[in-house]
Amino acid sequence: MLNPADPALGFWIPLGLFCLAFGFWLTDKEDFRRRCLAPTVLVATVLIVAHGAKTRGGDAAETALLAVLFHMLGPVALMAAGTLIATFAGPSPVGPLPRGLRPFGFIMAIGGIFWIGWMLISEPPTATAHGIGETIWGAWVLVFLCTLILISAMAGSFCVMMGEQRHKEALVLAGLALAGSLMFLQLVEDGSADLLASGWHDIYWNEITFIFGGIIGLILAAIAFIGLVYIAEKRAPDPDVVAPLTEAEKAVVDAVLREHLGIGGEE
Amino acid sequence: MAAEDKGPWWRLIGLLLLLILAGMDLLVWQLSGGTDVPAAFENMLLGAALAFGLASLALLLVTLGAVHRHARWREQVFGLALFAGLGLSYAANEMGDSIDALRPGAGMLLAGLSAALAATGLIFGLLLALVTGREHVPDPLHDLQSTGGDVSMDIED
Repeated sequence: MLNPADPALGFWIPLGLFCLAFGFWLTDKEDFRRRCLAPTVLVATVLIVAHGAKTRGGDAAETALLAVLFHMLGPVALMAAGTLIATFAGPSPVGPLPRGLRPFGFIMAIGGIFWIGWMLISEPPTATAHGIGETIWGAWVLVFLCTLILISAMAGSFCVMMGEQRHKEALVLAGLALAGSLMFLQLVEDGSADLLASGWHDIYWNEITFIFGGIIGLILAAIAFIGLVYIAEKRAPDPDVVAPLTEAEKAVVDAVLREHLGIGGEE
Repeated sequence: MAAEDKGPWWRLIGLLLLLILAGMDLLVWQLSGGTDVPAAFENMLLGAALAFGLASLALLLVTLGAVHRHARWREQVFGLALFAGLGLSYAANEMGDSIDALRPGAGMLLAGLSAALAATGLIFGLLLALVTGREHVPDPLHDLQSTGGDVSMDIED
């Protein structure tokens, strides 16, 4: 009997189905696989939802991961909505929203970071309070903060070096890097509400190094894929020599060209 | 000031990032009382192998879903299957000799990837909002009604 609580059926097969569905989406509109796109996505979503409903956080890594992603959906959605509102309420011609909404967009985006900060000082839900759930939640927060610090510093220094009065942008990014650094410092020095500083140190040395290696592995896989496509294209045979046009075909081409270029219409 | 006047900007930014990374490591090193460095590198290698295998498997599935008669699919399919097999078998061998042992590691990689994407999206989203909100000094040529700003004229010395 198929049991959706089984991680293979309820989590990893749906992830594979999402990859297949992405492949279907890349096919031509006339292809029958394009019609399989919606059912495949639907089946994968139903399986994941059934898996999440049948299991509890802390049961297994997959359930804990779903719990953490669900937990972080709020702040991430707030940040995404805030940046979109701030962009489309700007003075550029592509901004259809009222200008008055722009400050609220920035407040929402920064509010997402404060929301994550608040999560760190409040009691966590049971799914992320212990075991593998706690480790995955801790790794998520540390990777988020490390990325925030590094990318903000990179983008901010890039703004300064490019000049052209980009100081306001650089200052905002420096503020983000500073906020991330303060949160990081707080975690590794004093810990959070449910996890001691030593727990955060363990996550830093064991999980962050693992994830950092994972990012390198992803880049290597992308390079290897490009290499395979290059080899395939290089091994492709030269196209056959095409026979010259017949007189009748030349007449057709001549007529089409004359029609489209609007010449010789009165002959 | 133009960007080309600043020299190779990426070296300075790369150095800054390296300094920040080293600073974070040193801070945690000092507070935690050190760590087993070879074990940390082994962890990194394991993460790289697992991510390489999983990413190759995902690309294989996308390729299988999108393959068509004009595509040169054999190299991609067999190559990606080989890469996925190599990455996953190495990781499984190191993590307990079973596919089940890979699950927590794979979950951790997905969590890390989602966190990195969320942070990157936030920063570039804010940057986009700031850049598109820049106010420029009004250009009098744009106010010319007759040409809509498209002006061309010869200036004599």
